[in-house]
Amino acid sequence: MLDRRQFIKQSVAWSGCLLLPSCLHAPRKGLYRVFTEEEAGCLIALCEQVIPADDTPGATEAGVVFYIDTTVSHYFPLTTGMYKSGIASLQTYCRSEYGNLFETLEPSRQTEIMKAMEAGELPSDAWSADVSQQSFMSMLVQHTMQGFYGPPRHGGNRHYVSYRMLKLDFPLVAGQNRYGNG
Amino acid sequence: MDKDKHVQAIVIGAGGGGGVAAKVLATAGMQTVVFERGGWPSYDAHINDELISQRTQALDSAFGPEWDKHPRVYVRENGERDVINAGDGRYNHVAACVGSGTVSYGAMAWRFMREDFRLKTTYGAVEGSTLEDWPVAYEDLEPFYEQAEWEIGVSGDAGPNPFASPRNRPYPMPAFEYNRDGEYLAGVCRRMGLHPFPIPMLRNSVAYNGRAACIRNRTCCGYACPVDAKNGTQNTVIPAAMATGLCRVKTHCVAAELMTDESGRVSGVRYFDPEGKERLQTADVVVVACSAIETARLLLNSRSRLHPGGLGNNHDCVGRNLQGHAYTGASGLFDWDVLDLAGPGATMAICDYNHHNPGIVGGGLLANEFYMMPYAFSQSRPWGEPGWGKSHKDYQRKNYRRLGRMIGPIQEMPMWDARVTVDAEVKDHWGIPVAALSGSKHPLDFEHCRFLSARAEEILKEAGAIRTWRHTGDRPPRSLYGPGGGQHQAGTCRMGNDPATSVVNEWCRVHDVENLFIADGSVLVTNGGFNPVLTIMAMAYRTAGYIADHYR
Repeated sequence: MLDRRQFIKQSVAWSGCLLLPSCLHAPRKGLYRVFTEEEAGCLIALCEQVIPADDTPGATEAGVVFYIDTTVSHYFPLTTGMYKSGIASLQTYCRSEYGNLFETLEPSRQTEIMKAMEAGELPSDAWSADVSQQSFMSMLVQHTMQGFYGPPRHGGNRHYVSYRMLKLDFPLVAGQNRYGNG
Repeated sequence: MDKDKHVQAIVIGAGGGGGVAAKVLATAGMQTVVFERGGWPSYDAHINDELISQRTQALDSAFGPEWDKHPRVYVRENGERDVINAGDGRYNHVAACVGSGTVSYGAMAWRFMREDFRLKTTYGAVEGSTLEDWPVAYEDLEPFYEQAEWEIGVSGDAGPNPFASPRNRPYPMPAFEYNRDGEYLAGVCRRMGLHPFPIPMLRNSVAYNGRAACIRNRTCCGYACPVDAKNGTQNTVIPAAMATGLCRVKTHCVAAELMTDESGRVSGVRYFDPEGKERLQTADVVVVACSAIETARLLLNSRSRLHPGGLGNNHDCVGRNLQGHAYTGASGLFDWDVLDLAGPGATMAICDYNHHNPGIVGGGLLANEFYMMPYAFSQSRPWGEPGWGKSHKDYQRKNYRRLGRMIGPIQEMPMWDARVTVDAEVKDHWGIPVAALSGSKHPLDFEHCRFLSARAEEILKEAGAIRTWRHTGDRPPRSLYGPGGGQHQAGTCRMGNDPATSVVNEWCRVHDVENLFIADGSVLVTNGGFNPVLTIMAMAYRTAGYIADHYR
């Protein structure tokens, strides 16, 4: 038997194909709404630095990148360009300094770079007028916190990982510890 | 412009004051129309979503107003004008729906103390402030406090607070029990010679008025109630008004301007209906209750030959003395789980520091605080603590139930230049000039915060907190903080006997307009060291009762 979520997923998939025959021929769409796979790879690494996995899940497992990709871009369309520009600037720096992309660097190196970014200490020439390194960093931290600690209905906090970490019963009524199938 | 059928009374704004006014007028037999720019709130529309709750508004405002349709202007100290939406803290946002803030408030039901009506007499004039006494005393309001407590519904215990104002009748419902930190901190306070007591709440501790008792939901302050146990005007007085058959609530209608006749009386309101069509509703008497900022804006936007600077503004008083509360207190980390997360969080208060503190004008209550949900908690760190990374996550995990807080509101010293004006260029979705906010707080407010936060910190230290810090709101640059306001916004149409320094008289009638009244926080001369909603409700009962007696 299908549970409700699977049923909805399946019907969306079927009806999508029935109504739009062209999707049969179109190349498979990526996972993301506004970011490219490459941008998302960098963003996932950045978010995971903000809330890293340890004995409980971090930002990646919580799906924070999807919160930023769908919810934030929907409510605040201007941030998308800032993310894209910031990611490009960061990658330019990482390529010239380390010959590699941010997400491939050692986690400790990533932390170092982000601390420098937070303090505005990365070389400024790579950063465009769209977003400064400090505002990029503070936007990233804020959205990651929202995606991780906010309710799952916005795309992050998948499987209630942060509520489980805080041992917060859900729904938010004392004594009703129900996470459902999530 | 299409005209609606003439009625006896119009109430603009269906919040704490407007809802009460509508009920009093309709039950007195007056044909009444209530205008509300938002709609009827529902729990299902936003459930317990922290990111759109009234306390966070990271993505949106669950109870309105719509961000893109209702901009405001914030005037910086250097004169630069920023166009902002309700998600910006400087907007000083108040919910836009039937019930307004009373849908999602924390629901503390305070009566002001006698001294709160007599600050200038009690403490003397304050340099640089327009501090004044009220033209009414506590005794004038007492019967209306009682009416609000019984009709809207308050749980409380009149006994254990020795500083409480005298009352004629007990609360209609028994007090809520303390939660874990409330119980613990109450013991600490008693040990220190202070006088803790359960906070009076506009929530049902037992079934009341046809609705259920509170289920101790954590997502209470900032949210609607899933079982409707929180009492606002949307589930009490407004339905009572409608049940008379004489009151109609027109939702999604935006008031643009009050119309006046040849003699200078108000004749009605020009508004935009839900389809955006301009219409005119006429009435014998008009009550404005749009909250301090929007009420001032509506009056200032209502210009005519006899009122060239806006209604009630012939002495340039409308919009001035904008104030809110200087929120202050302290936080303390414990090495045990001091929170049990039995909602809503705030259960215990003291009024030992509301008045007669050495060197301070007034003061404020202190209470254990409403719970923070996980995102808000992630933004709450002592100064210098990392804002991200492994240690931030560790702090979150370790301390979510270990942060005790004692927080309270202090009345701000009114400032002539802290004000609402209407912007010459920026218009809202309907083409109506928007409110512009300018000015700053009085330096004494920061002194007051230092005083009260130090008292809060003493309590947390005595309670054995392993690390404490204070919230004084004065981290430089102070100019960033602008005028007071927030959800406790008040003062912009001050009550007074002198038309040269106030906007309404002691019955909240606009001095030079004989059929125009105000029934919201605008009329408050000073804001008390308390959440103001019960005082706004009591004032609305008194004002509307006067209208029913004299204008029916």
